[in-house]
Amino acid sequence: MTVDLNLVGAKGAIAEAAAGKWGMTIDQDICTGCQACVAACAMENNIAFVGEEDAGYGRTQHWIRIERFWDGEYPHVQATPFQPMLCQQCGHAPCEPVCPVFATPHSPAEDLNLQVYNRCVGTRYCANNCPYQVRSFNWRDYHTVPELGNMVNGALIFPLHNQLNPDVTVRRRGVMEKCTFCIQRIHKAQDKAKSEGREVEDGEFTTACAQACPASAITFGRVDHPESLVSQLAHQERGVKHLEELNTLPRVTYLKEG
Amino acid sequence: MSEATLLAVFEDLDPAASAIEKLHEMGVGDENINVISGVPVAHKILGRPHPWTNVSKLSMGGAIAGFAFGIFLNFGTPHLYGVHVGGQYITPIPPGAIVTFEMTMLFALLATFLGVFLDSYFPNYRPLEYVGEVSDGKIAVFFRISEADAKKFTDAMNTLGAESVKPAEARQL
Amino acid sequence: MTATSKYLSGAKEAHDSHHQEEDPKQYLMYDPKPRGEMNAMVMESMHTTSWKFWVVLGVLAFLVVTCFFFAWGYMIDEGLYVGGVMRPSYWGIFLVNTVFWIGISHAGTFISAILRVFKAEFRRPFTRAAELMTTFGLIQAGASIFMHMGRVWLSYWMLPIPNARQLWPNFHSPLMWDLLAITTYVLGSTMYLFLPLIPDLAMARDRSTGWRKTFYKILALGFRGTEGEWRHLTVAMNFFAFAIIPVMFSVHTIVSWDFAMAMRPGWSSSVFGPYFVLGALHSGMGAVAMVLFVMRATMKHMDYFIRKEHFDALGKLMLMVTFAYTYFFFNDYIVQWYGGDKATDTLLHWLEEGPMAWMFIQFVFFNIVIPPLLLWSKKVRETPWLLALIGLMINVGMYWERYLIIPVMLTINRMPFTWKLFQPRIEIFLTIGTFSMFLLFYMIVSRLIPLIPVWEVQEGQMTHSLRKVGKAKLPTISEFE
Repeated sequence: MTVDLNLVGAKGAIAEAAAGKWGMTIDQDICTGCQACVAACAMENNIAFVGEEDAGYGRTQHWIRIERFWDGEYPHVQATPFQPMLCQQCGHAPCEPVCPVFATPHSPAEDLNLQVYNRCVGTRYCANNCPYQVRSFNWRDYHTVPELGNMVNGALIFPLHNQLNPDVTVRRRGVMEKCTFCIQRIHKAQDKAKSEGREVEDGEFTTACAQACPASAITFGRVDHPESLVSQLAHQERGVKHLEELNTLPRVTYLKEG
Repeated sequence: MSEATLLAVFEDLDPAASAIEKLHEMGVGDENINVISGVPVAHKILGRPHPWTNVSKLSMGGAIAGFAFGIFLNFGTPHLYGVHVGGQYITPIPPGAIVTFEMTMLFALLATFLGVFLDSYFPNYRPLEYVGEVSDGKIAVFFRISEADAKKFTDAMNTLGAESVKPAEARQL
Repeated sequence: MTATSKYLSGAKEAHDSHHQEEDPKQYLMYDPKPRGEMNAMVMESMHTTSWKFWVVLGVLAFLVVTCFFFAWGYMIDEGLYVGGVMRPSYWGIFLVNTVFWIGISHAGTFISAILRVFKAEFRRPFTRAAELMTTFGLIQAGASIFMHMGRVWLSYWMLPIPNARQLWPNFHSPLMWDLLAITTYVLGSTMYLFLPLIPDLAMARDRSTGWRKTFYKILALGFRGTEGEWRHLTVAMNFFAFAIIPVMFSVHTIVSWDFAMAMRPGWSSSVFGPYFVLGALHSGMGAVAMVLFVMRATMKHMDYFIRKEHFDALGKLMLMVTFAYTYFFFNDYIVQWYGGDKATDTLLHWLEEGPMAWMFIQFVFFNIVIPPLLLWSKKVRETPWLLALIGLMINVGMYWERYLIIPVMLTINRMPFTWKLFQPRIEIFLTIGTFSMFLLFYMIVSRLIPLIPVWEVQEGQMTHSLRKVGKAKLPTISEFE
């Protein structure tokens, strides 16, 4: 008798259906570490600049970061592949059950891990529980820090406010945030497709980071459609999931050691 | 036939116990006798009837109410809001045990506390029969008898070693 | 006489002096004073304040206003960046303070509830002092928890109150269990503090005038001491004593699950529950020793009520708790050390050899190595200032332990790119603020309510007598209930 682990609801379900809906592959063998994805994400998602001091102290707001390591001892040091790390939109996200106010539920429609800014009370338990450490907290109202503004005719103005994306909330202090797989773009594409009476096609839109990558290392799309590009890439032999042993069921597949 | 309430103050347990025995002999019923003391004295030491209390029943009632509330809170209310997190069941049992336990204890403790207030008619700021010596460790026995026998009882109490015997007056504490 | 027999007879004399009859009157329960006199002593200790009292009170009030209210208000206004929290130590000193203060509060319940259940008579004079520690410690723990929240003005969203937003709190979260457990514990221990206080408030009401009399009259609720009132009170107190023990164990276990439920190396340990409970008792007992020493040193007549025997008993308790705590500490670390995964292994080595190794070594010495080396000796246990010093040492060690568990262990996680060491900033002031507030409350209350439960002391003295058995007069305890 075979047991359908998905129906049982066991947290150890590792079936195909646990692959998710929206997914991503990141090819670490092609990534050049140029940080274009980081910049694009910051522009798209209204991520604040925190300044040199706070950035050095571990308070960067970046939703995606390029992790750089090295191998060996000086002078025989070798570079290792760059590792873009972002929210893995885990199927069994450890960040979800620990929020006391349900500010980070799992979306049944998009199968993504949501972050509800206006519900968050800032206990930061989700950030502690994330094994990938991809969540960032708004320690300050970084968008209106006086030192980062311009004094013009006696008034403090913030020119960077002109480039804020109107589709994305601007978060205030005390609120948690993280990569959303550009859910605003997902919804825009779905709305457009719905108004035209069709399904969203693969490649019709993509996330900001995937769009900006000059090496096309990031691919985004529907992992539950076997014919989509991201699905085919994810099933390559080079595909690994980071911290797989923790049973978080991440939706991001990393391609490395080809 | 008018009634009087006399209050006899004793320094120690033995004279108080013999006084109460004497009162029984002289025909004063238990319901007409009251004892106030500065420390809790077991009823059998003074020869008094077993005192009643509803506190334990209220504790049990509170515990049951708390248990029901805990079950409702953890296994009932989430179904009204339907949010899924972390791949767990919407009303898992282990957190349910914790929530139910805490609510059971909370309601039991609150009910016990409330029970003390209800049973003792706290807060009671009306004038009451009391003497300050009681909080100095003395034992005061006050009993209701007919006015005519006042002298008889006063003498009896004094013979048994009462520090003072006087009519009990209700005064603002 | 040969040299040997001289030596032997000398030894016999020394041995005999060891076994001299101890005077039972040195024990509080066998040294009864008239209740009226004890009442007067307690009232006098409440009314007496020296200029030193007011100076210390003023300093503490100043610290509370600046380091607690002003600093916290500034932090709420500016954001948590003024603290030291960052990635990866999202939780810092605020949680350390929370756990520390809840730990201190457990000692109160241990002494007033567990010792009551086991009918340990030596608890009688200091149950209230310990229980006050519980109430005030929990206030500081609550304050620290609110301090760590990013949007503390919305913290009421954690309450399960039906609302128009169609939103509900998440009972999967250990923080919600925390909320329920700590609320239960705060209410429970405050009620348990108040119930035995009522007869003493009645006593104070009878012996006061002016604003004090009004204050005690209102709080004493019209208590007279009738048989019914005593019966309701004692039944309730017995129920509370039994019921608050599981609550106490559950509270710190649930607080420990804030950490144990998380998948961080070093945190995800199944022994955290009892480990934290024993840690709480460890630091709490030490704090009680400190409080009792200060009471005796600064308040009149306290040396009649709190004697060598109480410090001796407290010292023995501290020794037992040290052993139990060592057992759980060892359990936690040896299991992680022996077969730990790479992240846990790196963490443990970093604790031993990294920049915080000094804290780890101090913690092991203060909590585990030194107390048993000193507390075995009756002479040490019976010396109040020495026991208070050992208590202080244990509390410092326990603070280090929680500091190591929270911000330091958070540093080493499974993403090495994020490793960064936590540096405390405004949290230092806020911590000073919570300690000052605790001491301030304690000092104020020590002059407002009787710190010694005189009725319990008299009750104890009435049940203790010396009974002649054969040729000896033996201490005997009767059961009055």
